[in-house]
Parts: sequence; structure tokens; C-alpha cells
Amino acid sequence: MTDDLNHARDELMRASLDHCVKCTICETQCPVARVTPLFPGPKFVGPQAERFRHGESVDESLDYCSGCGICTHVCPQGVKIAELNIMAKAVMKADQPPPVMKGLRDQVISRTTVMGKAMTPVAPVANAALGIGLLRKAVEKVVGVASGAPMPTARTETLRAWLRRRPAPPAATREPIVFFHGCAGGYFEVETSKRTIEVLEHLGFQVLVPKQGCCGLAQQSNGLFENARTSVLDLCDALRSVGKELTIVSSSGSCTGMLKHEAHHILGVDDPRLLDVGARIRETSEFLLELFESGEVLPEFRRVEATIPYHQPCQVKAQGMGMPALTLMEMVPGVRVVESGQPCCGIAGTYGLKEEKYDIAQAVGKPVFEMVKATNPDLATCDTETCRWQIEKGSGVRTVHPIELLHFALGLSDDLPL
Amino acid sequence: MNGPVPRRGTAPRTVVVGAGLAGLVSAILLRRHGHQVVLVAKGLGGLQLSQGTIDVLGRLDGRLVDDPWAAFDELPDSHPYRRIGVEAVRRGVDVLAGLLGPDLLAPVGERNQLYPTAVGALRPTLVVPPSMAAGAARDGRRIVIVGIDQVKDFHPELVAGNLARTELPGGGRLQVRHASIDLGARPGEVDSSPVVYARALDQAHTREKFVRAVKAVAEPGEVIGLPAVLGVDDPLAWADLQQRIGQPVFEIALQPPSVPGMRFNQALLAHTRRERVRTMLGAEVIGLVNEGSTVTGVRVQTAGGERTIGCDHVVHAPGGFESGALAVDSHNRVSETIFGLPVTATDATELIHGDYWGAPQPLFEVGVRVDDQMRVLDDRGRAMYANLYAAGGILAGAIRWREKSGEGIALGSAVKAVDAITAGEDRP
Repeated sequence: MTDDLNHARDELMRASLDHCVKCTICETQCPVARVTPLFPGPKFVGPQAERFRHGESVDESLDYCSGCGICTHVCPQGVKIAELNIMAKAVMKADQPPPVMKGLRDQVISRTTVMGKAMTPVAPVANAALGIGLLRKAVEKVVGVASGAPMPTARTETLRAWLRRRPAPPAATREPIVFFHGCAGGYFEVETSKRTIEVLEHLGFQVLVPKQGCCGLAQQSNGLFENARTSVLDLCDALRSVGKELTIVSSSGSCTGMLKHEAHHILGVDDPRLLDVGARIRETSEFLLELFESGEVLPEFRRVEATIPYHQPCQVKAQGMGMPALTLMEMVPGVRVVESGQPCCGIAGTYGLKEEKYDIAQAVGKPVFEMVKATNPDLATCDTETCRWQIEKGSGVRTVHPIELLHFALGLSDDLPL
Repeated sequence: MNGPVPRRGTAPRTVVVGAGLAGLVSAILLRRHGHQVVLVAKGLGGLQLSQGTIDVLGRLDGRLVDDPWAAFDELPDSHPYRRIGVEAVRRGVDVLAGLLGPDLLAPVGERNQLYPTAVGALRPTLVVPPSMAAGAARDGRRIVIVGIDQVKDFHPELVAGNLARTELPGGGRLQVRHASIDLGARPGEVDSSPVVYARALDQAHTREKFVRAVKAVAEPGEVIGLPAVLGVDDPLAWADLQQRIGQPVFEIALQPPSVPGMRFNQALLAHTRRERVRTMLGAEVIGLVNEGSTVTGVRVQTAGGERTIGCDHVVHAPGGFESGALAVDSHNRVSETIFGLPVTATDATELIHGDYWGAPQPLFEVGVRVDDQMRVLDDRGRAMYANLYAAGGILAGAIRWREKSGEGIALGSAVKAVDAITAGEDRP
């Protein structure tokens, strides 16, 4: 047993179970239990089942937990239900390894950087291949990646290539800050990263973008704790390499959560490098709202008459910061935001990609898709990459990070359908 | 980051601590006054665990109260109602009735009525949802209690048996029998939570089967009592079912997850979203920042670290012992765990007696003391801060579940706190 799983086993024994008063609030809010009887609910597989585990795995229904974290988010007693279940899942995976091909699948889909590096040079071919139904069916049969699941679109230029190529940014009038782009923001959601950097520079910041790797979140949610631990600490070193006091900003909502709390609570990483980065990082909207409310920087927005659907991803909700993106977007004159009011879009990282979970993930996401379609057929907003892919695929509506709306409202771009 | 965050805009800002009935209603009312509101809560509030009725005062000194408004004068001076007053409670009830609307709340009456509970006791309350109204106890009323085999926490025989043997306060009895139906909420599920069942009854195809099953066991002239699972997102599901069954039906609230409580909670949360209450859920309030006797900010623990929310006022509505805002440690020390506020008793030794089924535990009257404006008082009876108000279950002086006064205290104190915060401003 590796050290990483020992933490999971130990933590299982002494976790926050005693605080559970069996109020069932988590059961009523769980998006997975709502759509399938295959998952009996977070209280049943968590605080309830935990008493029978004694370090062993007993209930396979646990595998249907998507790890979205809504149970912890809504728990009024502070029980770390999701964390407990993700750890129990990792132990279960070690005790009862999945079939070879599913194990392989979990390894591949949790390595976004590798996928990005492999796909960028052959972007047109990769995109075409992902669009071939027959090929996707074959992949589903052999390795268990659902043929209907959303896949990222490969870009022909990485963020780093753009940073090298672009003209020098305007001279900074404010302090330097560090930008953490995440794997998806480096290879697939390059536009989100570019526009975040441009907005920050427009506001006067010097934006430092150190060479950086993956945060390990997808590995963690697939039970690959050892890999995840290495990834997250390497990332902390990279982000700290350009300055030890600077604010770190990121438009990768879920990766921000990994650095703020998940790696600490779930992987049990107590390394001071992680705690330092976790305390300094801000999700982009959180950072901008703090900045604008401080009164120091007052942006000039142009008027944008639009009703914008917004879904805050589960892993962003879990950070307990409210909905800064909503408040921020409504600072733009003319903008009205309609919030999904839904716990999760279904994808929950890599959950909804898996052939055996695909239908569940679609059912979880359905109310989000419907709300998006009914609110604005041209444009929706959401703070994390995989959720945007899921919503776009499920609703057919273009879905962007809220920063793109601000970028537009600041007059830095004109290509949103507004 | 230490010290309050400066902020843009001139509207005063209130931080509301807690997402229960008092917190939600305070937040919505303050938004209607044009205030900025940040509501911070560790998790979802307790409203959805409640029975979905409005209790004002159901019992006093062990006897049933008929007119709750008239009974306020009989309460001891230590009771929160003595600071809140009848007028504010009435206004609070009306505010809630307005927020929930006629689909979720029957008209507010002047007298308590008795309604069956999930163990077949009769419980006094002032206002019920329309879906419970036909359950009011009347001499000679013929009732059939219908259980659902797949909803395991509701035992129709127990409910019917206890109701049938209970003499009504004015004399007379109910005529009660029981029956059950066998109808799963979802294929392959033999044990459904009430919420899962209610969601199934939000769907037309399940309703059709449900109507057929209930009609098969009901007799003409009977009022049909069902566990409270008659739809959760559709507030008129029960009315549709009643109309199709062709006989009066009523719901009986279950132990959590309580669907009627959840309907209230969902409706109020929808108001907070519409009114743009900035809600920080999953964040823990850990302290105050003050300048002399004025609170200037609230310290909050979120993922990644502490944040301070600058504010002009604080409404402290975190609940009581049930939520952990009040606690007793292993040395019997009683404390308010969030701000360390003074409480009416600090030693629980004499306040907990060993008789589990006996008299109410005096401990549950312990809480925070307030003045007529709901400002928190120190040990000498003076306002601790000019702008720190308390509302709901944290207030000392009442054992809510015993006297059936929880909603009235929450609503009345919320209204009084908002009055004090907005004093001198125009009413919206």
C-alpha cells in the first residue's frame, strides 16, 4: 500500500463522521441519486457505510458517486462527505482493480496535458477523428469512453506558442501577478487563457505565465493518488518559481479548487508549498470582483444588452466563495444573468466520459441544458472547461468562460454573439 | 488578508449569518430595502428539515393554546416574544405568506388547529400548506391513512391506531382506519426516500398510477391522509391528485427529508436568487472585525483561506444547539461557537436532568439575549455592538419544539432586526 492510500485509509477511520446528524440534506441535493437508483445517495455510501468499512471496501454502489462534492457543499454540520467517498473509492479501486481496459482508460482520460501535447500538432486530424461516429463507437466498445461524450477541440496553437508570438503587452501600471492556465487552458481552451491575460493586462497588471503542468485533479478523481500528488507538487513549484508573494489567478475553476483545498483534504498533502499556493490563488472572477469592489480599479464597460445563462460548476461551488462571476457579469450595463440553480452539469471532471456513467451524466445535466437553451440560444457561460464542453454538447449553445463576456464588454473583442 | 474589504457602491451592506428561516427572510427583506446582502452559511439551512407549517405558539405550561396571539402576555419576561411583540410576529408571518404564495400556504388564521403527525399524535399549529388543510382534526371526521409500501418511514397502522384512540380537546374522536398501496417510485427501487417519491409524483405518468392505487383503497366519504410526498417541485401536484382521486386528501409531514419543508426552502432560495442576495454557501463564519462598539466586517473561512467581508450590519441567525451554533463541551461549558457571544448560562451541569422522557431540559432555553431591536446584549444587559443583531434559534428563553414557536420567533425577530437596520429609511 502506498503512502497516498494509507492517508485515504487512515482518514476514513477518523474523518468527520461524528458530526453527521443524519439530517439527509445531502441526500436531497445529490444530483446523481436524483436520476438513478444505482446510487443510493451520499449519506448511505458515506457516513452510514463508513461504519462498516474498517478499511475494507464493501459497497460497490460507491463507484457511481461522481465526486461532484455537492454533498459536502450543502452539509450544515461540516461533514466532508464527498472527500470521504472519493477516498473510499480510491481504496476500493486498489482493492478491486477495474478490468484492464477500463484501468487504461482512467489513466488516459486523467492526463489532459498528454492529450493536449499529442493532439495539438495534428489538430485537424484529431478533431476529425473525434467526430467520426464509427471510430467513437469502436473506442467505446474497447476502452469504455462513451461515444456521445463531449471531447475537447484540439487547437493548432498552444497558449505558450501564442505568448511567444504575440506583440509585447502594454507597460504594466500595477503589480505583477501569476497566471495559472491549467492543462485545458494551455492546449484546448486557449482562448479563455488569452482573454484572461488580456483583461488583466488591460487593467494594468503584469501577467507572469511560468511553464507549468497539470494539477492532478483528474488523476485524483480516478483514484490515481500517487500520480496526483506528484503532479500537484510539481505545479506548486512551477507557480512559485516566479515569485513567492504574488497573487495567482486562474480561469480553470476546478483546478483552482484542487490547489485551494482538494489536494489537501483528499490526497492529504500537507506540504507548505501547496498550502502557500492554495492561500494565494484566486479564481478569475473572484479576483476581479475583489478588485473592483476595493474601488481601486473601476473598469469602463460598454453597454451589452443580453440575457446570459450561467452555470456555476460543482467544483467551483465547493470553494465556498458564492457566485462572483454572476455579480461581475451584471456589473456590465445591460447584462442580466440567469443562473442555472442546478448542482452539477453531470460531467464532474471525467465521470460523464465513461461509457457506464454516460447516461447518468446526461440525465444530471438535462436541466442545465434545458435552461441554457431556453435562456439564450447563442451564448452561455460557465467557469470550467469540461463543464463547458458538456453544456455545449448537451445544449448546442456556445459556452464560454465569464471572462470572455468581460473581455467583450471592455471592448477588447467583438466576436461574441451579443 | 486582514481588516474589512473596502467596497464599491453606497448602499449599506449587511452580512447575514445562516440560511434558515430567519436568515433567508432577513436577507430578502433587506434586499427589498435596497441594501447589499451577503448571506454566509456553512450549508443548507434547517428549514427543509421542518414540517412545513408556521408555528407561533402551540403549547404553554403543558396545555394547548387556542389563540396564540392572546397568549403572548402570559409568557415570562425572559421569552423572546416579550422583546419581539405580537405586531412583529404578525408582520413576519404575513411576509412569509407573501413570499410563499397561496400555492404553498393556506390563509393565515387566528386560531391554532390540530393536525396528525407521522406517529399519529395531534400537533397544534397556526398555518399549514393547502396540502395539509384537510387533515385538521374534527369530531367524527372519517379518515383513511394510506401508506406506501416503498416509503418505509410511514406506518399507516401506527398513525391510524393512535389517532383513533385520541380524544379531541373539545371532546369527540376521529374515525380512522388504515390501508396501504404498493407502487414503486422508480423501477427496481423497493425503498424510496420521500424526496425521490415526491419527484416521481411531479411526473404525470406516475401520478396516473398513484391515483388508481389510492382510489382502489379509499371508501366514499373518507378524507385520505398520505405521507407528505405529493410532489416537490410542482406545488400543485397534491391538488391535481386530489382532483383526480375525487376525495379530499391531506399530507402528513415525515421525519427528514421533509418534503413540505423542502418546498418552503426551495421557494425562499428562489427569492434570494431573484433578489440577488449574494450567498456564500459552504463557507464558515469564524469571527468579527470591529472598531470599538461597531462591527466593520465578518471573518469567513473558505477553501484556500480566510476572507473578510466588510459590512455595516450583521444579522446573526445561525440556529441553536441543533446547528452547532450553541454547544456544550465535555466540561459542561455552554458557549456560542461562532463569535463567542455571551450566553444566558455557561454551566450546563444543573440544566440537564437524566430523565430522558421527563420534563424538558432547561438547557434548551439557553441562548443569546437581545434588546427590543434584536441587538445582542452583554452580561450587563447592554448592546455589545451598535450593529450586531440576532434572530431565530440562537435567541434565549424558549424551548421551541416544546411550545411550537420556532417559525414565529424566527420570523418576528427577523422583521425586528430588519426594522432596526433600516430605521429612518422609507419602507419599500
